[in-house]
Amino acid sequence: MNSTIQHMLGRVGRYVFLSAVLGFFAIPLLWLATAPFDRTPKITTSMPDFALDNFRALLDNPYAVNSLLNSIYLAGGAAVLVVSFAALAAYALSRVRVPGRDALLYGLLLLSSIVTGTATMVPLFELAFRLNLIDSRLGVILIMSGGLLPAAIFILKDFMDSTPTSYEESARVFGASPLQIVRHIVVPVVRPGLATVAVWTVANVWGNFLVPFLLLRSPDKAPAAVIMYTLYTEGGQANLSLLSTFSLLYSLPVVLMFVFVSTRYGFRFHGGIKR
Amino acid sequence: MAAITMSELTKVYPNGVRALDALDLQIADGEFFALLGPSGCGKTTLLRTIAGLEVATGGSVHIGERDVTDLQPGRRDVAMVFQDYALFPHMNVRDNIAYPLRIKKVDRRSRHAKAADTAGGLGLAQLLERRPGQLSGGQQQRVALARAMAYTPQVFLLDEPLSNLDARLRLEARTFLKRLQRDLGVTTVFVTHDQAEALALADRIAVMEGGRIRQVGTPVEVFRRPANTFVAGFIGSTPMNLLDAQITDGVVRVAGAALPIPEHAEGLVADGEHVTYGARPEYLDYWPAEKSGALPGEVVVVENLGSSSLVSLDLPGDVGTMQVVVPEGQEPQPGDRGWAVPRPGRALLYRDGSLVTTSVPAQAAPPVDHEVLVGDTPSSGTLSS
Repeated sequence: MNSTIQHMLGRVGRYVFLSAVLGFFAIPLLWLATAPFDRTPKITTSMPDFALDNFRALLDNPYAVNSLLNSIYLAGGAAVLVVSFAALAAYALSRVRVPGRDALLYGLLLLSSIVTGTATMVPLFELAFRLNLIDSRLGVILIMSGGLLPAAIFILKDFMDSTPTSYEESARVFGASPLQIVRHIVVPVVRPGLATVAVWTVANVWGNFLVPFLLLRSPDKAPAAVIMYTLYTEGGQANLSLLSTFSLLYSLPVVLMFVFVSTRYGFRFHGGIKR
Repeated sequence: MAAITMSELTKVYPNGVRALDALDLQIADGEFFALLGPSGCGKTTLLRTIAGLEVATGGSVHIGERDVTDLQPGRRDVAMVFQDYALFPHMNVRDNIAYPLRIKKVDRRSRHAKAADTAGGLGLAQLLERRPGQLSGGQQQRVALARAMAYTPQVFLLDEPLSNLDARLRLEARTFLKRLQRDLGVTTVFVTHDQAEALALADRIAVMEGGRIRQVGTPVEVFRRPANTFVAGFIGSTPMNLLDAQITDGVVRVAGAALPIPEHAEGLVADGEHVTYGARPEYLDYWPAEKSGALPGEVVVVENLGSSSLVSLDLPGDVGTMQVVVPEGQEPQPGDRGWAVPRPGRALLYRDGSLVTTSVPAQAAPPVDHEVLVGDTPSSGTLSS
């Protein structure tokens, strides 16, 4: 009897704890969902007094919508660069025996976390300045890509390694050229891996604040992550109506992309190779 | 269609492993040829070197009149079916079969017609829209064969064609494959580690060990007259009995018994010589009563093989164990004393591991000092497994 009560209390305690943890994570998201539709948004989550005024105010902001387009441009550009270069490098590293290959990969991986980190911002700024890439979106794309490439190569190499070489050898015996093999066989087979890397790159660039903040001078080139920083009232207070609305618009594309990619490419091929 | 000629073919891997050792082999036009051997003997390397997927370190490969030693795989006019079939998972059966024609830049309509035609001939007509993942193992194999056939090559190369099928399907596929090869008449080389598969399918077999060919011959030749003790132990679903023997006074002395000298070795062995006496369990008759010219022993194990039984006899004086196939209804009991009588013309004598013959074998193998442990020879796949 005693043990039953103890058991019950244990369960109650566990669920109370889980609810508290869940609430801790859920309430900010709830705020993000309700505050943009509130006539007077506050820092607390409450039932909204429904209105779309905040969206109108945001459209009046000269940089808000444009910054989202900038974000798409930067993220898309980096994704294209990272996926194409990482795919080629990963394929070569997976199929060709290079002495010291693993050391090279791990070394790059280690250094890559530094490249887009705070520590190298001064030399990177200096480099961009000499290359005339200050206030250039291309500069941001190149620096972001450089930082993300090693990890992307690492992820994709794993995908390539798990693809049997007999697919490619089979095509080779039929006379396919290396480029044909990549186009007809390798890319379609590792497509889930390419999609993963593309999504990962977009999410990384989308969320990065430091690199575009330092390298882009004119506000009309700044991406959403930087513009969000400027949404203050004249009094220096955070402009909650703009900030909440903009945050919602800022997160939606990434969420939609995840949903789209996981339904489109989330599947894995089965069969064709008898194990 | 073409013959394949390999001369002095050598392949040394970067890590120093000598997978092929100055190998000479000729495969005739239209022949169904098996490369047989235990794993690591170089048979797959040889197949891949013919395909061009491995570059030979030395020697040459000719297909027909052409020297293809340095040609890219795609220019050798060979088609290969891989052990895992390597069907492209993102293409349906039609596109898979038509892929070689896509590379040859045949237009879509005619390559699809050709694919449908080839698939129809192999009973795949209903499956053209399916992905490889939706096919059974046997169907996948036939798609892989259809893809190779659509290429219309001079040579087919098959890597372990039956190993990925379950036992029942394997027998079916074996018959199917032999018939298909006969109908097409294209030179076909296949690799297998299963001696039963090689005996059943091939017109000729090359038995390989350590990058060298130990014997080339028809299934009957390699089964009845293995050129050396390695082949003798490898071929046959029950390994050949190999017993230490000595020639004395014109007879072979094995475990205390006197046996007549086998016909093939008559006049070629001298008194006092140490030899190995070989006799297949299938070529020994079991006698329950004493008999001259027979090996005596004590029955230790009786294994039922279905229509016959495999009887193991312990030879006197710790010489070893010998196995005899006994027809059904005549099985002895463990503990019985029995005599094994070699059938005339089927027993063999080996000297230093090689068959005692007048002619020097074409593939002179270096004398290998085989530990002769009867009943401990490498086990091989059986027909009934």
